[in-house]
Amino acid sequence: MNDPYLTLGVSESASDEEIKKAYRELARKYHPDNYHDNPLADLAQEKMKEINAAYEEINRRRGAGGGAAQPRPGYYQQQQYYGGGQSTSSVLQQVRIAIQTGNLTRAEALLANYSDHNAEWNFLRGAVCYRRGWADEAKRYYETACQMDPGSQEYRQALDFMENGTRRVYRPGGGQFGTDLCGGNLCLPLCCSYAIISSGGWVFCC
Amino acid sequence: MFGYVRPSLQELPAEEAARFRRMYCGLCHVLGSRYGPAAQMILNYDFTYLAILLSDGEEAVSHGRCVLHPVHGRDFFGGGRALELAADESVILAYWQLRDAVEDHGTLRGLKYRAAGGVLEPACRRAAALRPAFERTVREKLTELQALEQEQCDSMDRAADCFASLLACAAGETEDPIRRRVLEQLLYHLGRWVYLIDAADDLRQDAETGGYNPVALRYGIRDGRWTPEARQAFAATLDHSIHAMAAAFELWEFGVWRPLLEKTIYTGLFQVGKAVLDGTFRAQRRGIEKETEEGAI
Repeated sequence: MNDPYLTLGVSESASDEEIKKAYRELARKYHPDNYHDNPLADLAQEKMKEINAAYEEINRRRGAGGGAAQPRPGYYQQQQYYGGGQSTSSVLQQVRIAIQTGNLTRAEALLANYSDHNAEWNFLRGAVCYRRGWADEAKRYYETACQMDPGSQEYRQALDFMENGTRRVYRPGGGQFGTDLCGGNLCLPLCCSYAIISSGGWVFCC
Repeated sequence: MFGYVRPSLQELPAEEAARFRRMYCGLCHVLGSRYGPAAQMILNYDFTYLAILLSDGEEAVSHGRCVLHPVHGRDFFGGGRALELAADESVILAYWQLRDAVEDHGTLRGLKYRAAGGVLEPACRRAAALRPAFERTVREKLTELQALEQEQCDSMDRAADCFASLLACAAGETEDPIRRRVLEQLLYHLGRWVYLIDAADDLRQDAETGGYNPVALRYGIRDGRWTPEARQAFAATLDHSIHAMAAAFELWEFGVWRPLLEKTIYTGLFQVGKAVLDGTFRAQRRGIEKETEEGAI
C-alpha cells in the first residue's frame, strides 16, 4: 500500500482535523456523483478506493478515538446507476448493462434494432449520448422521455442533471461551477425573472 | 477556431506565467527548427496548451535570441518528444484549419487563407509524413464536417464531434493507457467547447453572411441574437463539457502544469464563455492581440 499520508496529500504531523479536511476534499473531488455517466468513472472509483483505504489506515494507526465526529471510513461508495430503474423489456435491460459496463457500441446497436421508441428507449439513448460527450443530444432525449412518462423520477433526475447538474459538481476550494451569465451586468434582472418563472420559484442562476 | 483557450497571465503567479511563456517560446523554436520561419506564424496559445498537455515534464530550460527578442533573448523549453509532437500536430491543425477557412469564405474572401495555406503546405506535407495517423484523422473529420455543413445539420453535437474527435486524436501517441484515456477525454471536450464557443461567437456574422452555424440552427436564431432561454441552455451544455474536462483533469498528475491548467479549466474557460455570450469577447480579444504585438509575451 502507498503511504496513506501521501495519498491524502498531508504530512504525518497533520492534525486529525487537517486529515479529515483533506479526506473530505478528495472524496468530494472523486465522488461518484462527479463522474456520473463519465467514461472515466472506473478511474475515479479506483482513486476513491485508494483515498478511503488511506483514511482508514491513518485512523487505524492513530487509534479509533483519534478524533471526534470523523466521517465514516468508506462513507463515499460507488453507487449503481441504471441498476435501480425497471426495464420494460429484456432488450432494454441489456442496454442498461451495456451502458454500465461501458460497451456503448453494443448499447447503440441494441437501441437501433429496438423499434418501440418509448420513454425508456429515449432515456437510454440519452444516457449513451451523454457518455459519448453529446450533452445537447442527451438533453433532447431526456426531454422526450420525460414528456412520454412525466411520472418517472429516473428520467426527471437525468433531465435535471442536464439543466442544472453541473452547478453542484466539484470545484477546488468550493465556489459555484459554471458559466456565469449574470455577473453584475444588465442581464441580471431579466435572467433572474426568467429563472423564477421557468423553474417555479427556484432561482438557480444567481 | 483558435484563440479561445488562453491563460489570464495577469492573474497567474509570476512563476506560472513565466513557465507558460517558456513553453510558448519553446514551441516557437521547435516550429522554426523543424519547419522554418513560415511555420512560426501559426504559433498561438491554443497550441501552447496542446504542448503543455502532451508534456512529460522533462523539457530542459534553454536560453536564446530570436527575431522578436534579439537583444536579451528569452528562456524557453528546448526540444523533447512532447514538444516535437505538439509542433507537428500544430502544423497539421493549422494547415487544415486554413483549408477549411478557404471553403468557408469563397474564392475572393478566402484568398488570404489560400495564400497562408500555400505557404504552409510544404510544412504540412512533412508533418503528415511524421504523424500519418493524426493527419488522416484531421483530414477525415474536416471532410465529415464539410458534409454536415452542406446538409445544414442542426445537431450541434454532431458538428462539434468532428472537431472534438480530431483534437482527441492528438493524444493518440501517448503510451501510458490511463494517461491516454484522460487526455483523449480532456481534448475531446476541449474541442467540443472550442467548436461551440466559436460558433456562438460567429452568430451575428453568420446571420449576415448566411454561413453555416449549428448553434443558430439548433436554437432557431435567425438574427444572431440570443433569447434568454437559448443562452441559458447553451451555457449549460458548455458547462457539461467543462465539467468533463475537469473530471478528466483530476485523474492525472500534471506536475508543474497543474496550477495553470486548474486555473484555465475552472476559471478561464468560464470567463471566455461569459464574454462570448454577453458579446464582449471580441473587444477583449483585440486588446489581447494588441498586448501580444507589443511584446507582452
